[in-house]
Amino acid sequence: MADVDAARRELEEALGTTEVLSDPLALTLYARDAAMVEGGCALVAFPHTVEDVVACMQVAARHALPVVPRGSGTGLAGGATPIGDALVVVTSKMDRILEVRPEDRLAWVEPGVLNLDLANAVAPLGFTYAPDPSSQQTCSIGGNVNTNAGGPHCLAYGVTSSHVLAVDVVLPDGTVERFGSEAPEAPGYDLRGILIGSEGTLGIVVGACVRLTPEPPAVRTMLLDFSAVKDCAATVSSIIAGGVVPAAVEMMDHGIIVAAESFAHAGYPTDAAAVLLVEVDGLPEAVEAQSRAVENAARDHGVRTIRVAADDAERALLWKGRKSAFGAVAQIAPHYHLHDCVVPRSKLVDVLAGVYEIAGRHDIIVTNVFHAGDGNLHPLLSFDRRIPGTLERVLSASEQIVRLCVNNGGSLSGEHGIGLEKRDFMPLMFSEVDLGAQACVRAAFDPEGRMNPHKVLPAGARCGDFAMARGTDAAQAAQSIPEGSWI
Amino acid sequence: MAGFGEGVEPPLGAVMPEGTRFIGPVGLAANWRPGDAPSDDDLATCVACGLCLPHCPTYRLTGEESASPRGRIAAMRAVADGRANVDATFARFMDLCLECRACEDVCPSHVPFGRMMERARVQIEPLRTRRARFVRWLGLSVVLRRRWVLSLGRRLTPLARPFLRKRVRTLVPGGGPGRRVARTTEPEGPAKGTVALVTGCVQDQWYRPANRATVRVLARNGWRVIAPRHQVCCGALQAHNGRLSTARKLARRNLAAFRDADWVVVAAAGCGAHVKEYGDLLGGEEATAFSARVRDLMEFLDEQGVERPGHGPAGEGPIRVAYHDACHALRAQRIKEQPRAVLRLIPGVEIAEVPDGDRCCGAAGLYNVLEPDMSDRLMEQKAASIASTEATIVASANPGCTMQIAAGLRNAGRRLEVLHPVELLDRAYAAADARADDR
Ligand SMILES: Cc1cc2nc3c(=O)[nH]c(=O)nc-3n(C[C@H](O)[C@H](O)[C@H](O)COP(=O)(O)OP(=O)(O)OC[C@H]3O[C@@H](n4cnc5c(N)ncnc54)[C@H](O)[C@@H]3O)c2cc1C
Ligand code: SF4
Ligand code: SF4
Repeated sequence: MADVDAARRELEEALGTTEVLSDPLALTLYARDAAMVEGGCALVAFPHTVEDVVACMQVAARHALPVVPRGSGTGLAGGATPIGDALVVVTSKMDRILEVRPEDRLAWVEPGVLNLDLANAVAPLGFTYAPDPSSQQTCSIGGNVNTNAGGPHCLAYGVTSSHVLAVDVVLPDGTVERFGSEAPEAPGYDLRGILIGSEGTLGIVVGACVRLTPEPPAVRTMLLDFSAVKDCAATVSSIIAGGVVPAAVEMMDHGIIVAAESFAHAGYPTDAAAVLLVEVDGLPEAVEAQSRAVENAARDHGVRTIRVAADDAERALLWKGRKSAFGAVAQIAPHYHLHDCVVPRSKLVDVLAGVYEIAGRHDIIVTNVFHAGDGNLHPLLSFDRRIPGTLERVLSASEQIVRLCVNNGGSLSGEHGIGLEKRDFMPLMFSEVDLGAQACVRAAFDPEGRMNPHKVLPAGARCGDFAMARGTDAAQAAQSIPEGSWI
Repeated sequence: MAGFGEGVEPPLGAVMPEGTRFIGPVGLAANWRPGDAPSDDDLATCVACGLCLPHCPTYRLTGEESASPRGRIAAMRAVADGRANVDATFARFMDLCLECRACEDVCPSHVPFGRMMERARVQIEPLRTRRARFVRWLGLSVVLRRRWVLSLGRRLTPLARPFLRKRVRTLVPGGGPGRRVARTTEPEGPAKGTVALVTGCVQDQWYRPANRATVRVLARNGWRVIAPRHQVCCGALQAHNGRLSTARKLARRNLAAFRDADWVVVAAAGCGAHVKEYGDLLGGEEATAFSARVRDLMEFLDEQGVERPGHGPAGEGPIRVAYHDACHALRAQRIKEQPRAVLRLIPGVEIAEVPDGDRCCGAAGLYNVLEPDMSDRLMEQKAASIASTEATIVASANPGCTMQIAAGLRNAGRRLEVLHPVELLDRAYAAADARADDR
């Protein structure tokens, strides 16, 4: 049993008493993120500086406490959910934009800077920070880096890893390292790439060098409305097969349209079976040509109406509905569960039909709102946990949906990460050797297995398995990992 | 863990590590004390998405969940689920809330935050020290409930001024209130209808000129204005501070006092937001029908239309007016465009938008007295944002905000006049009349 009290005193000494929480009720508030599993923790710390984070790591190391990094806690996979006597390190007070260099098209930020605050701060210079998760008003850059977050506009611009040049990380032993560099291509292994999407299992990101993207000269946002889901889904493949890659292609089905409209009052057609929100950008001529291609593809699939945003205000309104959709589903039922599987675009029509069928069979309401352009599904299962037996039906339906996606050539997660909720699905995609190799990478950064334990890799995955399978000396090396450290 | 009977292989994703559980009640009895408490159904509406966080002023300043809407709801839920108690920590988390309701406005799942917080405040009331309870009781149940005590208090402030605690001293405006508004004021021509004015307690004692301007402007635009003498304090501060039963009593008396009017108009946003909620507070048809007749003054003027003044309030030149959105107008009543539209009718008025204008100024009812540190930080922020607009006048339609902003600007060494927007309209009418007389 770790000496939590001693750890608390040392943390208070280093960070100040107001920056360490140990009251049980205060700790409860950090027991979960926006997903469905709740854990618990022993201490919460609010570092303000890199030195503070180093102190947190050293104290945790001294007392063998697990460490769970947390940004804004909007994660949807339980990545920031602590377990047992963990120390939760919250980055919300490290929220300074350190440097903006428009001439180099980059900025250095602290991890707690909110995604939208960064985008707003660089907007007057004619730039934006391209990855725009629907949670962008709240989620932190540190959280984005660690989940390799995507967003509607990542279709054309790429997800977080394409926009992060370097990260400064405090490793579990308290050392500070920079991975990547301001120069676009660093020689050697891409350790920066390993850090991105590592879900807090390798270290705590304390700084990020992000790429700034110039605002496109022209933008057009369109809302296409269909009377059948399959026509809507088929339009997506046709658009892209026709050689156009819009900045964003988002799909919402009937249930979501109704919920989102009641909050955003965006004028969504509440009688539509599904809508597509499509945005094209670039030079004015290109925008013109692309929108014509999109409209033609939609007409081929029987689009009912095409609404083009007349100005920025209307454009913002159309997006507001989309970006609040997850929150708005609580109008349907108080709890939701979702997996963010990715499937090949050509399979969208079949997989969506399968999702509705599975939900129907389990008597669960499902609504769909997702990054259709990337084939990144978000089937939202809405339910009331208080009704006995419901959770079980939801979990069964979820498993079948994930299997359906994987069987159709898809992947487990497009952007939310694996965290706690999806870790047991990993063997559907990876062999034991694969998982063992991943465990070895993890052990290289965190030999004691204290960084965000129980996350990402399934319960049994150990570096040793990889080494055994390879029959090399590494097997011996792997033996040196302390007994019982699940990594 | 989820329950999948004996011998049934649980689906992937159903087995979680020890020390975790799927969210939802754990089967324990709620730890609420007797009396009003947040309802389970209200609490269930929050999905913990966090989209409200950046809009909450106290979260913005602290970066801590306990000072955020999501965290406050999670704390309430922990008590409702029997996992925590209504204790000093719980009270601290609730007390730091401004009840500005920015969270309610931005929450996509329509979480009724204001209602939950009012009930959570009822829960923490018994925890306060006897002295704190006495001071609140004196303020909320004695002074505000009785006009004569309030008015006596105001008359005594000049004498008491040197003895007041500094923070109260900076907030309380000096000067006398002048004449009370008449019981009935007839318009010049035939009346379009009867409007009853909620005169407000603080507004009527310290900002009576705004009430007089309201009456003149309404009458000029064809309304018979009555100011029922039997009206009492609207009860907003009581409701926000854990005294729902007092608030209900006051609401019932007002229901009777305003029975005869076509419209009930409120010039103070904090009162207006609350009076519009009498239906919710009391339940029943009469209260609901009453609430439907209530309008914020600027909302009413915009809805019904007003005469466009022939002249600006300050000579020929343009005047730059920073419009302050009171939370209780912007959030609780969703009033944003209406006051601006009315002000734009005034020749020469140029409206300056205050940066981060939707952030609370920190006045928040009694908050500025009860939580001085947080309140001061918000006040400074607000004063700086307003100053950055280079306006010469601030229009504020809520007396609490007006005091706070005036104090903030004074502390920052800025000389801006803080007025109710209707006073600008009134001045413009007066200026136009004076010019007509000159000719
Ligand atoms: C309404 C809603 C919409 C969403 N839409 C999208 C979307 O469109 N695209 C998308 O990709 N995601 C989306 N998400 C999921 C979520 O917002 C993202 O995963 C986001 O990147 C999480 O950021 P955060 O700051 O909240 O991180 P948290 O939830 O606090 O943490 C996420 C993970 O990162 C780790 N972490 C956080 N900060 C650090 C750090 N400084 N160092 C090391 N590890 C760290 C945590 O341990 C955890 O594993 C959505 C969520 C919601 C609630
Ligand atoms: S109050 Fe609303 S916006 Fe805030 S976390 Fe809850 S559901 Fe989300
Ligand atoms: S009412 Fe205001 S201060 Fe209170 S939680 Fe909501 S946004 Fe924050």
